Amino acid sequence: MRNGRHVSILCTMLTVVALVTLGCGPQGDSTTVKELSGAGATFPYPLYSKMFDTYDGITGVRVNYNSIGSGGGIKALTDKTVDFGASDAFLTDQEEVAMGAPVLHIPTCVGAVVLSYNLDGNPALKLDGAVTANIFLGKVTKWNDPSIAALNPGLSLPDLAITVVHRSDGSGTTSIFTSYLAAVSPSWKSTVGAGKSVSWPTGVGGKGNDGVAGMISQTKGSLGYIELVYAVQSSMPFALLKNASGTFVTPSLASSAAAAAVTLPDDLRVMIVNSLGKDAYPISAFTWILVYKEQNYANRTLAQAQALKKLLTWMLTDGQAVNEALSYSKLPAPAVTKALALVDSMTYGGTAIP
Amino acid sequence: MAAQPSRSDRRELVRERAFTAAGVTAAVALVTTIVLFLLELFVTSRSSRAAFGWSFLWHSEWNPVTEKFGALPMIVGTLVTGFGALLISTPFALGIAIFLADYAGKKVSEPVKYLISLLGGLPSVIFGLWGLFVLVPLVSKFEVWFGKLVGSEALVASGTTGVGLLAAILLLAIMILPFSASLILESLLVVPTELKEGALALGATKWDTIQNVELPYVRKSTVGALVLSLGRALGETMAVTMVIGNGMKMPRSLFDPANTLASAIANQFLEATSPVYIASLIQLGLILFVISIIINIAARIILRRGVQQ
Repeated sequence: MRNGRHVSILCTMLTVVALVTLGCGPQGDSTTVKELSGAGATFPYPLYSKMFDTYDGITGVRVNYNSIGSGGGIKALTDKTVDFGASDAFLTDQEEVAMGAPVLHIPTCVGAVVLSYNLDGNPALKLDGAVTANIFLGKVTKWNDPSIAALNPGLSLPDLAITVVHRSDGSGTTSIFTSYLAAVSPSWKSTVGAGKSVSWPTGVGGKGNDGVAGMISQTKGSLGYIELVYAVQSSMPFALLKNASGTFVTPSLASSAAAAAVTLPDDLRVMIVNSLGKDAYPISAFTWILVYKEQNYANRTLAQAQALKKLLTWMLTDGQAVNEALSYSKLPAPAVTKALALVDSMTYGGTAIP
Repeated sequence: MAAQPSRSDRRELVRERAFTAAGVTAAVALVTTIVLFLLELFVTSRSSRAAFGWSFLWHSEWNPVTEKFGALPMIVGTLVTGFGALLISTPFALGIAIFLADYAGKKVSEPVKYLISLLGGLPSVIFGLWGLFVLVPLVSKFEVWFGKLVGSEALVASGTTGVGLLAAILLLAIMILPFSASLILESLLVVPTELKEGALALGATKWDTIQNVELPYVRKSTVGALVLSLGRALGETMAVTMVIGNGMKMPRSLFDPANTLASAIANQFLEATSPVYIASLIQLGLILFVISIIINIAARIILRRGVQQ
């Protein structure tokens, strides 16, 4: 009886060890590429999973995407463990050096960040860059501040403290929003700066879009920033924002796409916040897929490089049809042209990929 | 027994040895894992130590843009929420344990014990949600009332969200309560019946017995139980992050948003990209690890002494 128990425990242990060892075993490689893998940003995850699902249906190529965050995506690409990375912020010069080889930034959609608030009666609020920056700097602290009143004639705003709500986790959303504030306010640029996490002068932090949205919906007099997709889905009120050409613009798929319809640099490694487009919503930005320009690395085959190129080309063309249904803006035509040129510039062993 | 080992005895011996070997391997693997853990944390955080040295421990600026990092606000946040929660939950834990051990009949104590273990097994995100939607608005009301009471314009004006140190302390107090209550109850239940009966026979009342016999008997194991609960409070992440406000600045009052080591790591690690930033976050983990080790060792020492007594 006692012996029997010993043996069964021993067997269990050995089985576990065997299973773990098997799990680590090498996987067989096939000549035709049926699988690609990517990792990175969480913001475009719903879009990518729908796109890759559709792509699998058409071509039979499965794409595994892990939304582990931009940082993780960049690290995975640096370590060469994935075919592509994804990030909401373009690589800093320092990060690009760490990559060891030139990396291409392929935009896939335009995202927008909106200012959401909690005020009695949900008045249609208008804001501009300077006032928004001053609120987030803690210089404007009351809703009935003259600078807010001046932008909202006819609205009677309460004598209520403004509770600033920001993201507590590092996020591409914060990067876009702080880049905008840095673009419109010199004092924001010099005291706080832009990045995925910053040292906030004031306010409370919520984790994720849902954390910020939860905090806003619970606190009278709060103002915070969330992604347009999230605001639309959870029907949060959002403010109209004055853009660089002086028009008050409602954030929408069309107005954030309009922000990208300006002259863009060829490498598309650019922040399009405070865009000069007439109908452009100013807090808009690309989200990118990152790939190595030279695809012959870490024992990759030409077939893998071809499969990746085909996938990226599809995402920029037919795949764009998925965008709007999921509340992501399509890339405007000039941006698509430039992005396709970038994809075509990928090489394998120094020559263009056929 | 017999000088000549029989066949079945030899088989028995082989089994015995194989089992011992498997057991030793498992034990060594556990120890190795912990050592490797510490080593890995130490190695991967070295660029932060190279950049900031010991000053990392007492600098209070945390700025990912300029890459200046100091851990003091998070260390303070961790210790204040942990000890604050302990302070609030201890009287309740003692009360529950004494009630269940000496006053409640079986019909009451069994379901209550069950509820306590149920509470202890709830996922922390549920506590977090409850905290955010129920506790935080209450704290916010208290904050407004308190601000008016002491006439502090700043408290009332600075936005009364309710999230901050106080909300985190209250939530943690509730979260560690089942843990400390059941540990104290366990030790109360092993107080020898002879001691209790002896005291009662001498004419002591129930309260006298509890005060003079039972509590002194379990004093040390109670302290050990509380320290173990403290360890839990210090490492709690999800629920805390939902109610503490995640401010990276040094809190000046209990109503201020603050952050703990665990919550700062959980919030920022995913999107941290620059090497010094990542190393600094890992360094926070190392600090938390060291704090937990110190507290656990303290608990072991106290518990052992409690048993010896």
